Amino acid sequence: MARNRYDVDEQLETPFDFTHLKRSFVYIKKYRGKMVLSLVISILSAITGLLAPLLTKRALDVTIPDKDYKELIILACALMGFNIISVALGNIRSRIMTVVGQNIIFDIREDLFAHLQELPFTYYDDRPHGKILIRVINYVNSVSDMLSNGIINFIMEILNMIFILIFMLIVDVRLTLVALSGLPLFMLVMFAIKKNQRRAWQDVSNKSSNMNAYLQENIVGARITQVFTREEENAEIYDELNRKYRKSWMRAVKFSNLVWPATDNISTIVRAALFIVGLLVLNPATVSLGTLSAMTGYASRFWQPIMNISNIINNFINNIAYLERIFETLDTPVTITDKEGAVEMPRIKGNVSFENVTFGYEEGIDVLKDLSFDIKAGQSVALVGPTGAGKSTIVSLISRFYDISKGRITIDGVNISDVTLKSLRSQMGIMLQDSFIFSDTVMENIRYGRLDATDEEIVSAAKTVCADGFISLMEDGYETQVNERGGGLSGGEKQLISFARTLLSDPKILVLDEATSSIDARTEALVQRGLAELLKGRTSFIIAHRLSTIRNCDVIMFINDHGIAESGTHDELMAKKGAYYELYTAQS
Amino acid sequence: MFEFRWLWENMKGSRRNYIIALCLSVLCNGLYITAPYFQSKIIDNYISGENAIENLKNDRSGLLWLIAGMIGFTFIRTVFQYTCNMYYETASQGMIYKIRTHLFRKVENQDIAFYDRFRTGDLMTRLTGDLDMVRHMVSWVIKGAVESIALFTASMVYFFILDVPTALCILALTPFIFIIRRKLSRYAGPAYRQVRECSSALNTAAQENISGNRVVKAFAREEFEKEKFRKRDEQYRSANIKAAYVWLKYQPFIDVIAGSLSVVLLLVGGIFMIKRHLTMGQYVAISGLLWAVSNPMRSIGNYVNDFHRFVASAGKIIEVYYFAPMIVDREDASEPAERLRGDIEFKNVSFSIEGKKILDNISFDIKAGQTVAIMGATGSGKTSLINLIPRFYDTDEGEVLVDGKNVRLHRLHALRKNISIATQDVLLYSDTIDSNIAFGDTSLDEEYVRKCAELSCASEFIEELPDRYDTIVGERGVGLSGGQKQRISLARALAVRPSVLILDDTTSAVDMETEAVIQKSLAEGLDFDCTKIIIAQRISSTRKADKIIILENGRIADIGTHDELIKRDGYYREIYTLQSGEESERQVSAVGT
Repeated sequence: MARNRYDVDEQLETPFDFTHLKRSFVYIKKYRGKMVLSLVISILSAITGLLAPLLTKRALDVTIPDKDYKELIILACALMGFNIISVALGNIRSRIMTVVGQNIIFDIREDLFAHLQELPFTYYDDRPHGKILIRVINYVNSVSDMLSNGIINFIMEILNMIFILIFMLIVDVRLTLVALSGLPLFMLVMFAIKKNQRRAWQDVSNKSSNMNAYLQENIVGARITQVFTREEENAEIYDELNRKYRKSWMRAVKFSNLVWPATDNISTIVRAALFIVGLLVLNPATVSLGTLSAMTGYASRFWQPIMNISNIINNFINNIAYLERIFETLDTPVTITDKEGAVEMPRIKGNVSFENVTFGYEEGIDVLKDLSFDIKAGQSVALVGPTGAGKSTIVSLISRFYDISKGRITIDGVNISDVTLKSLRSQMGIMLQDSFIFSDTVMENIRYGRLDATDEEIVSAAKTVCADGFISLMEDGYETQVNERGGGLSGGEKQLISFARTLLSDPKILVLDEATSSIDARTEALVQRGLAELLKGRTSFIIAHRLSTIRNCDVIMFINDHGIAESGTHDELMAKKGAYYELYTAQS
Repeated sequence: MFEFRWLWENMKGSRRNYIIALCLSVLCNGLYITAPYFQSKIIDNYISGENAIENLKNDRSGLLWLIAGMIGFTFIRTVFQYTCNMYYETASQGMIYKIRTHLFRKVENQDIAFYDRFRTGDLMTRLTGDLDMVRHMVSWVIKGAVESIALFTASMVYFFILDVPTALCILALTPFIFIIRRKLSRYAGPAYRQVRECSSALNTAAQENISGNRVVKAFAREEFEKEKFRKRDEQYRSANIKAAYVWLKYQPFIDVIAGSLSVVLLLVGGIFMIKRHLTMGQYVAISGLLWAVSNPMRSIGNYVNDFHRFVASAGKIIEVYYFAPMIVDREDASEPAERLRGDIEFKNVSFSIEGKKILDNISFDIKAGQTVAIMGATGSGKTSLINLIPRFYDTDEGEVLVDGKNVRLHRLHALRKNISIATQDVLLYSDTIDSNIAFGDTSLDEEYVRKCAELSCASEFIEELPDRYDTIVGERGVGLSGGQKQRISLARALAVRPSVLILDDTTSAVDMETEAVIQKSLAEGLDFDCTKIIIAQRISSTRKADKIIILENGRIADIGTHDELIKRDGYYREIYTLQSGEESERQVSAVGT
C-alpha cells in the first residue's frame, strides 16, 4: 500500500455485513455469564413493569368504586414495592453492565495495542501516527456501549416483540397480518437508509481520522510551522479538513436522523390500516370491537420495540464504521514474527555474517544486492559511504527489523530468522539516528535500556557517555521530568541520554547509527575514550562521518551501489587510494 | 457559569439556528403530548363509545378524516422533529467547527514553553474527546434539558388546570429530586475530572508508544510497553467504573421518586375519587400524561452527570482556548518595507529558562551577508542563542537587533518570514517531498524546488526514489536516512530565500564529501543574499566563516576567524587539534584549497 497522507482517506474494501458484529462476540463471550444474568434481570424487571398496570386496573375497577380505603393503601404499597423492585433490578443490571462494557473495551484495546507492538516499522512509516492513535483511543471508546448494553437491549426488544406478536396472533390472525404488513415496508425503507448511512459514517470516520492526523503532525511540528511562518496556511488546511469533516457528519446525520421519523410514520400508517381494515373492510360481525381495540393497543406496543430496534441498529451502523477500523488494524499481518518452532538465541558471542543478502524496502527496488561479509566476535566495524547507500539498512537487518528477500544472516552461525525476536533483540544494543525521549524522568529514560538496572548503574552509564555532567546540572538531576519533544534538552543532550540507555542494556552487539552526530567534538572525544573500554570484547557496528570515530575501527566497509565497494582497515584502504581514500580527502 | 458563556460566545453565527432548534424541540414535545388525540378520538367515537356503531354506519367520512388526520399529523410532527434535529446538528457542528479552528490556531501560535508543558497526547485528547463532550452537551444535553423542562412545565400546568390538590401532591415530590441532584453533583464532578485525567494519560501513553516505535523495537521492550499501557488502561477503566458508580449510587433514589408519582396518583387520586373530588376522566387524563412529569425527573440525573463530564472537558479546552503566548507583536512593532538586509547584533544579551541561566551577557554583531559559525559544547546555549533571533524566546536583559532594530519592534510574522532555520531535530510532514521542500512557500514552482534540492545535494537521492519528488515521506520522515532528512530540511530552509539562514547542526549526519559540496553551494550557489549562521561541530564546516563564536556555559569564550582562533589557546584549537589529527593524514590534498 502506498503511504498514506493526512488528506487521503484510507480505503476500506470489505463489504458490510454483520460479520464484524459476529466477530466482536469473541470479546463478549468472556462475559456471557454476566450478560445472561443481566438479560434475566431485565426480563424480571420487564415483568414487574407489566404487573404494575394490573394493580392500577384493580384499583380503578374495584377498589375505588367500593370505597375500600384499606385495599387502596395496600395497592399503593404494592405499587411502591414493584417500583422499588424494578428500580433495584435496573440498578443491578447497570452496575453489572458498566463493568462488562468497560471490560470489553479494555480487552479490545489490549489486543489492539499488543498487535501494534508486533507490527513492523513499515506500518508506522506508512501512515500518519495520528491515524493510529485515534483508533486505539477514540474508536475503541465508541464501540463500548454498542457491545454491552446495545446487545442486551437488542435481545430484550426482540423478546418483547415476539411476546406481543404471540398475543396479537391469539387475538386475531387477520388483523395481525395487517399489522405485520408494515414490516416489509419498514425493511425496505431501512435498507435504503442503511446503505447510504453506512457509507456516510465510514466517510465520517475517514474525515475525522484525516483531521486528527493533521492535528497531531502540527502539534509535533509546531516549531517548524513557526520557523516557516506557515501558521495561517496550515490553519487553512486544517479548516478545510474540518469543513470536510463537518460536511461528512451532516451528511451522515441526514440519514441517521431519518430512521426514527420513518419508523414513526410507518407505525402510524399500520395503525391506520388496522382501523380501516378492522372497521370498514372486514365484516364488523367477525371482528368484535373489543378485539379491534385490543389490536390497536397491541399494534402500538408492537411497533415500540421495532422503533427501539431500529434505533439500536442505527447505533450499530454508526459504530460499526469504527469497529471495522479496529478489526482492520487487528488484521494487519505481522510480517516479522517468530518462526514456528523458533528457539531462544543463545548468549551471543558476536560473530556476524551476511551471506548473499539481497534486500529492498519496496518490491523490485533492491537496496542491497548479494551482500556478503564476515565479522568476528569483538571486532568493531565502521560503515561509511554516501548518505542513503544502505548503511542504516545493513544494521537494521542484523536486528531483523526487516526480513531479507534472499540470502541469510547469521550470528554465531545461527540464522537470525530461526530464533525468537525478543531473545535476539534484547542482546543487541541499537542506538538509532532519532533519539526518542519518553515523558518521564531522565533516570527512567535511561533505565529503558535495562529495566532492572540500579540507580548507580544508570549514573555510571551516564558517566561513561559524559551525560552525567549536564544531567547533574538539571533542576532535579536524574529525577528531572523530560518529555517526548525533549523538553528543554538540546539535540546533543538527547543523544547522550539515549546513548546511555543503549550502553546500559549491556549489549553483546552494539550498533551506533550516527549516535554522536549532534554531540560536540570535545564531548565526543571524551565519549570515545569511555567507549573504547566498553567496546572491548563486543562486536560493534558504527555508522559515523567523523573520521576520528571511524579510523580506529578494525574493519571499515565502504558501502555503495547496493553493496560493499571496499573494506579493510584504515591503513589498507588509504593505501588502496579508492573510494574511501577519496572520501577521506575530499573535504577541506 | 463561565462554561456556558463561553459556549454562547462560540455560538456566534450559529445562534439563530440553535434558538430555532430549541423552539422547534419545545414545539415537537408539545405535539408529542397531543399525538394520541386522533387515536383516542377514533376509539371513543367508533369503537368503544356509546354511539360507536351508529357513527360507523353514518359517519364513515368522519372516520376517514380522523385517520387522515392521524397520518398527516404524525407526518407533520416527524418533519418538524427531523428539521429540529438537523437544526441542532447544524448549530452544534457550526459551533464545534469554530472552536476547533480557534484551538488549532492557538496550538500553532504558542511559545516553546507551551509545547514543553502540554504533551502531544494530552493536546490530542483536548481536541478530540473533550471537544466531542462539548458537542454532546450542545446537541444533546441542553436539548434534552430544555425539552424536559418544557414537558414538565406544560404537563404540570395542565395538571393544575385539571385539579389543584392532586397537582400539588405530585409537585411535592420534586424537592427530593433536587436534594439528590445536589448530592450527585458534589461527587460526580471530581469523578469525571479523574476520568478525564486518566483518558489523557492513556492517550499520551499510546501516542508516545506509536511515535517511539523504533526505540521500543530496538530494545525489544514490547512486553514492557504493553504492561505500561495496561496499567494506564486499567486506571482509565476503573476511573470510568467509579464515575458510573457514583451515578448508580444516586440514580435509584431519583428513579424511585419518579416512579412514586404513579403511587401518589393512585393513592391521592383514589382517595379524591372516593370523596368525589376528582372524576374518572380527570384521573385518566392525569395518569395518561404522568410520564411527561416522571421522565424529566428521571433524566435530571443524566443531565447532571453529563453536565459534569462537560465541565471537566470544557475546562481542559478553555485552558488551551485562552492560553496566551508571551511572545506576541508589540503595539509599536512595524512591518519592514521590504526584505530585511540581515544585519544582526546581540547587545549584552542574557537569557534564562525557568530560572536557569542559559546565556550570559552575549554581545556580537554580524553584518549582512556574512557567514558566522557558532561552536561550543553540548548544552552551551548554541540553539538557545539562535532561537533569540526569530524571537522564539525573549531575552531577559539586553537586546537582539536585526537590521539595527530590536527584534521586538519587528512584526513577528515579518521577522520570521525573513529568517529560516534548518533545525536540529528534523521534522518532515507525511506529505510529498515536493510539498515538504516548498513548505515555507507553497507557491514555489517545481523548478525552484529542484534547484533547492540540488543546492542541498538532495536531488540525487530524490531522483532515485520511486515517485521522485512526489514520493510521500512518512511522519518525521521515517524511511529516509538521517542525512537524507537533513538535506531535505536544508532544501526547505533555502526554498524561502531568507535574509538570514540559520543552520543548526544541519549536516551532522551527512557524509563529508556531500558536506563539502553543500558548503560550496551555500557559499557560491545561492541566488539571493543572506546572512548565514551555522552551528556545527566540525572544523571543516566552520573554517571558512567570517567569524567564529565560541560559547562556553552560556558565555562567549572567544570570537575570531579560523586563523586567529587556531593561534590562541582554547576550545577551538583543542577541537582543531582533535580533528586535524585526521586532517594531517590527508595533508596532501589539503594544501592549496
